Amino acid sequence: MKNNKILITINDLNDIKDLKELGIEKFVFPLKNFCVGIPNTFLISEIPFDIRSSSYLYLNRVLDNEGIDNFKLLKDIENFKGIIFDDLGIIPLIKDFKFEKILYLSHFNTNKESIKIYLEYVDSVIISSDITREETEDIVTSLPNVSLFVLGYPMAMNSRRLLINNYATFHHLEKENPLVIKNSNQEFLIYENEYGTCFYHKPIFNGLSLRNLDCKYYFISSSFLDIKDVISLLNGESKMETDEGFLNKETIYKLKGESK
Amino acid sequence: MTELLAPAGDLERLKIALLYGADAVYIGGKDYSLRANAKNFSEDDIKEAVSFAHNLGKKVYVAVNIVFHDKNLNGLEEYLKYLKKVDVDAVIVSDIIGVKLAHKIGLDIILSTQASTLNYSAISFWQSLGVKRFVLGREATREDIIRIKKETHASLECFIHGAMCTSISGKCVLSNYLTGRDSNRGGCAQICRWVFETDNIPFTFMSKDLNMVSYLQDMINIGVDSFKIEGRMRSVYYIATVIMCYRKLIDKICNNTLTEQDKKYYELILDRVANRDSVPQFYQKFPGPNESYFQDREEVSNQDFLGIVLDYDEKNKLVKIEERNYFKIGDVVEFIGPNMEEVTYTIESIKDEEGNSIEVARHPQMIVYLEVPFKLPSYAMMRLKIFDKNKVL
Repeated sequence: MKNNKILITINDLNDIKDLKELGIEKFVFPLKNFCVGIPNTFLISEIPFDIRSSSYLYLNRVLDNEGIDNFKLLKDIENFKGIIFDDLGIIPLIKDFKFEKILYLSHFNTNKESIKIYLEYVDSVIISSDITREETEDIVTSLPNVSLFVLGYPMAMNSRRLLINNYATFHHLEKENPLVIKNSNQEFLIYENEYGTCFYHKPIFNGLSLRNLDCKYYFISSSFLDIKDVISLLNGESKMETDEGFLNKETIYKLKGESK
Repeated sequence: MTELLAPAGDLERLKIALLYGADAVYIGGKDYSLRANAKNFSEDDIKEAVSFAHNLGKKVYVAVNIVFHDKNLNGLEEYLKYLKKVDVDAVIVSDIIGVKLAHKIGLDIILSTQASTLNYSAISFWQSLGVKRFVLGREATREDIIRIKKETHASLECFIHGAMCTSISGKCVLSNYLTGRDSNRGGCAQICRWVFETDNIPFTFMSKDLNMVSYLQDMINIGVDSFKIEGRMRSVYYIATVIMCYRKLIDKICNNTLTEQDKKYYELILDRVANRDSVPQFYQKFPGPNESYFQDREEVSNQDFLGIVLDYDEKNKLVKIEERNYFKIGDVVEFIGPNMEEVTYTIESIKDEEGNSIEVARHPQMIVYLEVPFKLPSYAMMRLKIFDKNKVL
């Protein structure tokens, strides 16, 4: 059973019991003031002491200077098992920390050479889910300490702007957050907080088949999902609509003229 | 002095940008740059571009800023070595493998805005890898820029004009989902200008353009090293007009001669050439509804650009023009050009290539001759006169 390799974001502390029963022990807490696109975030003081040594702090937003200053003020973070972050400005700040450092630089880390360089600074890299299964397999089998995003709404866009608020204000509408939008038969769930707006592609990304690859961790984002649905998906019992993103659908590297 | 940095989608645009006052240009090769739909530069073009720029004492930066997949790395090192060999002044990179290779080869490195850098600690990280200059995220506020400069002393490049991504640059793959084109490898389909259905009023989220005319002086004061204009896909007329406006604005600021009339005049011209509203965006405040468009809009281009000057016959006072848009005898036009002030002129006669007098020039790219009593340089342009500088206030 590979559930001991799963990193899962927590929406509700009450879900932890159910997850433990499944053998999942590595919990990821989106940190309040350091996340975007996630409805449920936590202050460090809200995270139970008894699970801190097996839990990770999650910071997924691009930080400005104030964000960096505020990170420096965080206390007790070394009591956690590790940290998962997007902004490279975190790297110099945690250089001497002993906990596990995991880089999740969204949409980057699509080739082995870049991942190899980042692994000089961190313990693991969660690679991009914008690449194909073949590319993913090649990376995982070539490098140690690679982790994979395997389940959840995939982030398709992150804006610093308050796009739902601006739309509602302009049209004098009651703010609907999250909001579902659609074009060309593609749906997106969008969610806004004070740090910006995120677009997630619908339906959720199901890359659980990637668990046949021997990697460091499998990352699950449970935002906007009921934990029962997540468990059901993990057990292969769900009828929920999902898709495999770009695993079997290579995107076009569009070039004119000669190409490499 | 703060550098004025222009985009160039091909050699003609590069020459125009430099001749109209840019201190440096940024370009893309046939591979590895994020404007896959621009004409872009072959390796020979890059060599010629560098030679042209260096002869004027100016610089060329080459964008190598895609996010690489493994198979895209084939040939990258050889390409970077070629760029070093032809003496480009820097490469613009976002992916760490590009940074490492460029540093190893001895190229100066500019970190692309695609790397979404908004804090001093991230700058420190990249500095440790040899990055010299940083294109900050377009979300950087005035306070962000000041603090980053103070903490890192890095050379900072900030966008001052042109289209904005609604997304934080590098953090958008909407094109991937909606068109199958990889936005981080040059395939951006500008999804942020599309209209989306909701259960209510259609949802749009397109940003107005950026325009920093009002804050140029302040940006110089806080230590911005380079003013960057967006638009490698833009026309020669757009490049010439925008660069000329900012060249004059920057020079007037540095000479302490900038007036409110100047500012207003150049703002009107900049708005007219883009045909979109432009605002300062993130510099002083968080963008609200006024910084975005909320209706689907047709972007109809105007026909202001009438022709480009190919030659001037001093003896006969005849200017040879390649037509771009319809004009006729009696039209009041303006000539703009490298190292000259705008000159107003009323068209009195038009001759075709055979020397026949004609009333109207109707066909784009036809060659015509006008009698003009003052000398005009090559690459000067003729446009409809829309604004009178003395009457803008």
